[in-house]
Amino acid sequence: MSMKDVVKEIEGKVVEFGGVVETITDTAVFVEIPKERVKEFAKWLYNAGAFLKTCAGVDERSINSRFAVYHIFGLDEKGIDVVLRISSLEGEALPSIASEVPAAEWCELEARDMLGLHILGHESKPRLVLPQDWPNAVYPLRKDVPYDYRPPSSVENFGKELPSEVGLPVGPYHPILHEPEYFELYVEGERVVDVFYRGFHVHRGIEKLAESPRFTYKTIPFLAERICGICGFVHSSCYVLTVERAAKIEVPERAQFIRSIVLEIERIHSHLLWLGVAAHILGYDAGFMHIWRIREPIMVLAELLTGSRKTYGINIVGGVRRDIDESKKKKALDVLRNVREEFKRFVEVFTSVPEIVKRATGTGVLPKDDARALSVVGPTARGSGLRRDVRKDYPYFAYRLASFKVPVYSEGDNLARLLVRVDEVFESISIVEQLLDALPRGSIAVESYEIPSFRKAVGAVEAPRGEDVHFIITGHGRPYRWRVRAPTYQNIPALKIMLRNTPLADAFLTIASIDPCFSCTDRAVVIRDVRSGFRRFASLFEGRRYANK
Amino acid sequence: MKLEERLRGVRRSPWVYHLNSGSCNACDIEILDALTPFFDAERFGVKLVASPRHADVVLFTGPVTREALPKVVKTLKAVPRPRIVVAIGSCAVGGGIWWNTYSTIGGFEKFQGVLKQQGVEIDKVVYVPGCPARPEAIIYGLLLALGYVKQKVSKVVKVVES
Repeated sequence: MSMKDVVKEIEGKVVEFGGVVETITDTAVFVEIPKERVKEFAKWLYNAGAFLKTCAGVDERSINSRFAVYHIFGLDEKGIDVVLRISSLEGEALPSIASEVPAAEWCELEARDMLGLHILGHESKPRLVLPQDWPNAVYPLRKDVPYDYRPPSSVENFGKELPSEVGLPVGPYHPILHEPEYFELYVEGERVVDVFYRGFHVHRGIEKLAESPRFTYKTIPFLAERICGICGFVHSSCYVLTVERAAKIEVPERAQFIRSIVLEIERIHSHLLWLGVAAHILGYDAGFMHIWRIREPIMVLAELLTGSRKTYGINIVGGVRRDIDESKKKKALDVLRNVREEFKRFVEVFTSVPEIVKRATGTGVLPKDDARALSVVGPTARGSGLRRDVRKDYPYFAYRLASFKVPVYSEGDNLARLLVRVDEVFESISIVEQLLDALPRGSIAVESYEIPSFRKAVGAVEAPRGEDVHFIITGHGRPYRWRVRAPTYQNIPALKIMLRNTPLADAFLTIASIDPCFSCTDRAVVIRDVRSGFRRFASLFEGRRYANK
Repeated sequence: MKLEERLRGVRRSPWVYHLNSGSCNACDIEILDALTPFFDAERFGVKLVASPRHADVVLFTGPVTREALPKVVKTLKAVPRPRIVVAIGSCAVGGGIWWNTYSTIGGFEKFQGVLKQQGVEIDKVVYVPGCPARPEAIIYGLLLALGYVKQKVSKVVKVVES
């Protein structure tokens, strides 16, 4: 098909649309179409194989007192360009062909920016070409605007049109989170300005399940242990403590000792685990691997004493199911001595590695007043100068008989929380050694007991993450109501203060620094409570995206 | 291509992705344990990756809670074929202690029905029971999925009438 034939074909079409055709060069035809029908023509051209090369807005007011837009199409196969002109008087609207030819959007926006053309469909789109602080009614490509016109610049206006805050999702599946939880960090540049949290992904209905006929007082400790795989023994201990308080059951001293010993072993493994995760988050993977190597004998020790590496299952109402004999005691003391030595060596390195110390110092600060106001618990509280420890404040099991320090740091930053945990590992090793040495003789469980109905009791146990609280109203054969409040539940609101105005890079360590354990936090409440809890969290964090719903 | 042939491609260095669908963390820390120096799964070339799109094998834990359900489906959709899942722990195997609670769907077996509806095909599943599953068992399950070791227990499920 020669050039002539192509032109003829285009000509036929153009006449059909009520326009005119003119051959302007050897390889280009010029087409003018009434603007009302330009969309149809552009569509035809596009479907005939033409590519949109670009479009150009032109101020032709000095020639014909109109503004024009030239859409330049290329028929690649035939080597012919088609220049399509549409025009309007000043202030009149021009149609957009972007709906038919998507490639036209940018150049149409440019024509709008540079010439102030009113192109239908693009009214609400943000500026493409001109700077954000360019004055509104000045269009540089209009012929009456001099080339050297410089409107006064105002830095304050710059960037106003762009959203200053960006919501950055973290989760529900994210490398720093080992559990499915959703955080949304609102950042301005590099700084975090707000946080939104949507949790309860691990809500499995535990409290309701405990009220069902599937469970009794005797079997609930095993359910409680499965609230959390890291600090599960805390939950079963807290449950039996609460039930024993409600029913006034005297538990043999030996059982009390064994519970305390296993609780401390759990704390050691949990803190070592956390230190490894913190090292991993800070990019110090060698430390992560070493600390997990050091931690492994503790898991083996737990298996020796309880029969399980995790989820020990030795708590029952009125005592424990498994005794510690002399040979186990000796092995346990050996393991603890080795772990203390290795951990001491590790800590020396760990707390002198610049990438750990520098990243943890002064980041994620939680001032004492805020810590008090939010009544945070555990290492989070003790890192902010609050001397709160259930083991000292409300002594339970055998803690009255052990001597130990409660490490407190007043800085309130990530390093303080880290050092609290380091110190607690040494304290816990010492507690286990003391209690193993002083292990009294006697039975490990009461023979029988009765649990009267409708008694109420509260029990609290110091978990690795802080105070774990259980509340019970007794019933027939099983609790009438069993409420679990895990430490993380209390600590998450503090994240808002810790994260505000901190660099984004520190946010991940800060989130980890409260040692969040979501499986504990999400455990149990009935769906109704989840909804109200959701609203409470939403208003607490002023989650922008969700608040509008 | 047959599954066995495709498995040969990932056998030398299987990249694993850890997917927690609402587990209590016990299996999850045992998975980490399996990857750290004492059990050292890296001697089989096992490497933990941060994105499901990089995963050869998914280490799946938890009974699949309702809240996590759509997100877990989405995540598994992002895993390239062949999709190999190692369902770890009693919860993932059959719902565990939560097998009939209101806010879980009761383990991977039931979850596969949802996956089928969503058009997500799973090429191979290996179940690793235990509460929590031991690190040795996790490594064994992974190697079973990749065809390094032979299955020891019968594949026939016997249901005891109670």
